[in-house]
Amino acid sequence: MTSLAARIFHAPIATVTLVDDEWVRCKAAHGLPPRLCQGSRAVSLGAAAVTHDGVYVVPDTSADPRASADPLVRGEPGVRFYAAAPIVTSDGHRLGSVNVMDTRPRQATSEQLASLRDLAALVAGELELRLTASRTVAAERELRAGAERLARTLQRTLLPPALPRVPGLHAAAAYHPVSADEVGGDFYDLFPLDGDRWGFFLGDVCGKGADAAALTSLVRYTLRAAAVYDPDPCAVLANLDAVLQQEHAGSTAPPPYCTAVFGVLEPDRDGFTVTLAGGGHPPALMVRTGGSIEAVHPEGGQLIGILRDPYFAQVRTRLNAGDALLLYTDGLIEARTEAGARLDEEGLAAYLAAAAPATADDLLTAVHKLIAALGEGVSDDTAVLALSVPAYSTAVPLQESWCSMTTT
Amino acid sequence: MQHDHDLTVTLQPHPVSPLVLTVAGDLDHHTVPRLRAALDDLTLAPGAGLVIDLSGLTFCDSTGISALVSAHQRAQDAGAALALAGLDPEIIRVFRIMGLDRLFSFHDTAEKAIASLQ
Repeated sequence: MTSLAARIFHAPIATVTLVDDEWVRCKAAHGLPPRLCQGSRAVSLGAAAVTHDGVYVVPDTSADPRASADPLVRGEPGVRFYAAAPIVTSDGHRLGSVNVMDTRPRQATSEQLASLRDLAALVAGELELRLTASRTVAAERELRAGAERLARTLQRTLLPPALPRVPGLHAAAAYHPVSADEVGGDFYDLFPLDGDRWGFFLGDVCGKGADAAALTSLVRYTLRAAAVYDPDPCAVLANLDAVLQQEHAGSTAPPPYCTAVFGVLEPDRDGFTVTLAGGGHPPALMVRTGGSIEAVHPEGGQLIGILRDPYFAQVRTRLNAGDALLLYTDGLIEARTEAGARLDEEGLAAYLAAAAPATADDLLTAVHKLIAALGEGVSDDTAVLALSVPAYSTAVPLQESWCSMTTT
Repeated sequence: MQHDHDLTVTLQPHPVSPLVLTVAGDLDHHTVPRLRAALDDLTLAPGAGLVIDLSGLTFCDSTGISALVSAHQRAQDAGAALALAGLDPEIIRVFRIMGLDRLFSFHDTAEKAIASLQ
């Protein structure tokens, strides 16, 4: 562009300059060394050209007091002739100018000046195009960042801010996200049912991002509402299944589904009777007082929301004084160990047997350490909910309760 | 036959029944429409068999699982039988946890799956 401008005028120097409040900057130059390419707006000829309507011409700078302050006139290369056409966008913004300079005074033909104006118009069009493109990219980035912020906010609302205090029970939960940007669909809650019974659940909605977050919200509220209606754990999962199937009815998108465990806690002397139903979810793990690990597995329970006539199973066990129960999402057991194998339920059980956590807090700490040790081997979010009954709880007043919640 | 660098879905007409659909590569939300389209193109007669050979499957996400579940439902609607072949033991494990072993029969090889349907 600048060499074309120089050729049209048979002049040695041509530049394209852009102005801001302070500076006139060269975007392209022909016949001018880079060190001379930037000048203060206050003294630059280019600044005058930008505000000028039409082509600005100084046939001899020595005869024009406006030009004498320009460093290119005063010093190197000693400009005597200057012609410039302003670069004006379609909405009237003056961005800079296309300039032609010579070191001897001269005249320009009207044809040369018209060509210079045409060149400036071409530059304006090009700059506008780039500006629009970069604005579009910026707007898109902004939208994306906004959506991610929204999804993260939504996710925070999906997890209870704090677990309630349940008399005689110690409960703790944690959420281990893999990425700060991408939202997973893990969820859990612990809440009062009728009488002195308590409901709890933990699960994982398929997919990631804002859609998964919205679905997680539906799942969480459906589980709580269904439990009010009929707290039988299998009935609660069947109810959730019906809601998800209806949510999908008529849609051609892949059907959303989730896996979950739902349980009811019933105080029973110095512990709790636990009824746990599962739908397509990995078994919960019970750490008994003596350190043995038992899988609490409603065997055969199927995915929720996607199957015809799904089967949900439930099992009953007892949470005795000194026992601790761990519910987790599959991000944990699908993690890869250093050897490259999946951790699996067996690996998790073996780890817990060695760590011998006695309380819900201990369990969470153990899982936290395990996830930290697995490092890059963890590729999916993990939510954990731990419930324990303090050992020797007969010595502790019944109304005393423990509760904690951490999010890492 | 449809082909892409990351998922291939190939229908191999078997001399008699069953039909054998070979799925190789990554089955995820980008590639799953290809499997769905191939399943939609199949004509399943009552009593017919369909084997989906997954021995070349390198990855399967939740949308892949949904697509296999709908394949089962399509076969069920048509009165046809479906068998899965060559699934990686790790994926079978995940399917078992999801209770999908009540839906699908798993076979080591396509030949064994074909034999089970004859």
